[in-house]
Amino acid sequence: MRRYILSRLVQLVFTLFIVSLLVFFMVRLRGDPISVMAPPTFNQEQIERMREAWGFDRPLLEQYWVFLTRAVTGDFGQSIQARRPAMDLVLERLMNTYKLAAAAATLGLIIALPLGVISALKRNSFIDLLSTLLASLGTAMPSFWLGLMLILIFSVQLRILPAFGSLEPTAIIMPAVTLGVGMAARLSRLTRSSMLEVLNKDYIRTAHSKGLPRRAVVSRHALRNALIPIVTVFGLQLGWLLGGSVVVEAVFSWPGLGRLMIDSINVRDITVVQAGLFWFALSFALINLIVDLTYTIIDPRIRYE
Amino acid sequence: MRVRYSIKFTTIIIIVALIMTLGASAFAQEDDDEIVTFTFAHPGPVRTMDAPVTWFGSTHWLTNLLYDCLIWRDASGEGYVGQAAESWENIDDLTWRFYLREGNTFQNGEPLDAEAVKWNIDRVRTREDFMVQPQWLFIDDVIVVDEWTLDITTFVPFPYFEYDVSFNGCQLLPPQYIEEVGEEEFARNPIGSGPYRLVEFSESDRYVFEAWDDYHGGRPEVDRIIYQVIPEVSSQVAALLAGQVDLIPSVPLPDQSRLEAADGINLVTETSNRMHHIYLRVQTETGAMSSTFPGYEPATMDQNVRLAISHALDRTLLAEVHGAASPRLGRVCSYYPEGFGEWLADPEIIEEWYNPDLAREYLAAAGFADGDGPVVHFDSPSFQFGSESEVAQVAAAMLEEVGFQVRLNILDSSAYTEQISTAGNNRDMSLITLGCSPSLVPTFYKCDWTQPMRNLCVPEWDEIGNAILQTVDFDERLELWEEWWEYYLDFAETITLYEMDNVMAYNDRFEFVPRRDGWFTFRDLRLSQ
Repeated sequence: MRRYILSRLVQLVFTLFIVSLLVFFMVRLRGDPISVMAPPTFNQEQIERMREAWGFDRPLLEQYWVFLTRAVTGDFGQSIQARRPAMDLVLERLMNTYKLAAAAATLGLIIALPLGVISALKRNSFIDLLSTLLASLGTAMPSFWLGLMLILIFSVQLRILPAFGSLEPTAIIMPAVTLGVGMAARLSRLTRSSMLEVLNKDYIRTAHSKGLPRRAVVSRHALRNALIPIVTVFGLQLGWLLGGSVVVEAVFSWPGLGRLMIDSINVRDITVVQAGLFWFALSFALINLIVDLTYTIIDPRIRYE
Repeated sequence: MRVRYSIKFTTIIIIVALIMTLGASAFAQEDDDEIVTFTFAHPGPVRTMDAPVTWFGSTHWLTNLLYDCLIWRDASGEGYVGQAAESWENIDDLTWRFYLREGNTFQNGEPLDAEAVKWNIDRVRTREDFMVQPQWLFIDDVIVVDEWTLDITTFVPFPYFEYDVSFNGCQLLPPQYIEEVGEEEFARNPIGSGPYRLVEFSESDRYVFEAWDDYHGGRPEVDRIIYQVIPEVSSQVAALLAGQVDLIPSVPLPDQSRLEAADGINLVTETSNRMHHIYLRVQTETGAMSSTFPGYEPATMDQNVRLAISHALDRTLLAEVHGAASPRLGRVCSYYPEGFGEWLADPEIIEEWYNPDLAREYLAAAGFADGDGPVVHFDSPSFQFGSESEVAQVAAAMLEEVGFQVRLNILDSSAYTEQISTAGNNRDMSLITLGCSPSLVPTFYKCDWTQPMRNLCVPEWDEIGNAILQTVDFDERLELWEEWWEYYLDFAETITLYEMDNVMAYNDRFEFVPRRDGWFTFRDLRLSQ
């Protein structure tokens, strides 16, 4: 197992190297950022001078080497717009993104697991029908619309929750619900189908025939075996929450990494884009590693050598 | 039994925690009510608090609270008020003398004297990595006369000196503090000399300013001003209705009646100091155009085609499509004398200018008769300051009406910026938003002004532009401007469409008077009587 983790960490370093390479060259695909960042009042000569001042006039490989040697020490350069280390800006936002993703994922799991299990156990019942309906609604509702509806109800009408920001402790409720509902809808459907598949297996019939109580059969034998695909999709959803929550961040003015990235891409603040993408890649790779390791806990037959 | 008990217990804990959190936030709100707080919904992003570095006006809405400049534009846009300078005078054609407020300091007690001002101006005009640096190259030297007096000299007589010296980059920073802590740390903990101190901020998210007791102009009436970045317009509207912000900068048309009907909310309209224009490509030599599209010659290089475009566009209708705007022919806002409001903003003249038959005649003169007009590639952002996409579509329909074959290319804002800023990408026409103050306008049409996508050179026009930029006498300058506009309309490289207004909504607890320069800065904000 230790060897496996070590090899995955080596892979991670390699992945990050590839990401750095792709990101570095892709953001420069259509030239350097100075022409986009410069005010309309700049003339060609001034643009050239600015290019020189920021080192964009040097050969691309030389620029990449400077970027890479600094990046390994955690220095991604200075934000061209904010005049502060790019990594500082990213880290400030990263915590908010993690916080929101964790809250939404927890909420999603709390709703999805019981709902999916009950639906599977009471197949074709009223509860199953209701859960199907809720899951369809949760998947079909655009997060943008749901977010605005929540603001209208809880901020404008009832005035009990803040409409924006991240400072008040209650500010996380609406964005987390907006993101969590969609996640819960998808996971509950998956839990249901995965449980239905497992419930028909021989070992479940055996467990029943041995006289085990229903709760024990469901929680110890059925749910545990149904968890593998759920954990896989949960990991993917969590990865998506890190980068894909930008719409919800915009609706609730949640200062997350997604919004910082969009702002930085718009003005081609490439040092921030590079630092942000590095963290996205790192977070996603670590989530995948954790998911893979979780398999061994859920199913002891899985061994990594 | 134990499981059921623990579920009940957990539920109670969650409910109690929720009530306590909601209660705590309600009490916090009550505490906050004791001091006067004003919250502005800033559409974002905000770039940096190291003010002279950036040219983005929406960032300077904030920095204007924190920093004093030497002088500053007044709210009407027609004059200037002293900030660090108590008074100033033009002592000869090339020299301006500033008398600073004696004993004035930065918020950390450091003196804001002539040496400090010189350090700031020298910094901004010599640092080539600053985006605002080229705007300060008109200054030849800064001479300290005594502790509280300094002279600024220019290379040539400079009629727009006051405007430019109060422009982006004018913010005065404490030199000793910066030298002590370094620029990076300064960007984290900035100190200024304005009426408000920045007490808390998270980058491009929330900025909290508190009134500074020792400001030379007296402590401001509003204790705390918060800039909260809320990018979504619908979220801004909801936050205003919820009473969580006090002013939103741009109310969409569908929400205007709802906000007007709401208790305690007022709507006000004022010019935004921005205009929409269409840039037409007039040559291929500049930038990478000739290598990117070898052999391609935009139809707009023909003056007759450009004039056809100018006369084919119904500016009045386009302004209506935009929503809150007034049609214009010239690219200086009508409240500036140089904007010649009685001519270039006269509705009758603008109505007459729209002449599809004349447009067809110009097309025929360019060799495109019988409705078989040229192909023009027209780039537009989908959304920047309003209904760009709709405006571009209507404008394209107007052009097609007289015979043009328009290839409309509506792009997301960032893709659009990339498209028009990268040499060679912008082929024929692009819808563009520009500020409308007169000081820099002639510069962009001078022969020595080469940009990646355009370089105009009409020697007679260039001569008039140079004369404007060096004529200090106002009346004489205005005469030159009149001549300059004739060339502008005739050359038709920039087709001005309309001047945009801001429709703002605010909490009537405050007495809010919008500025004509479109800046949302609140030094003089007061509570309603």
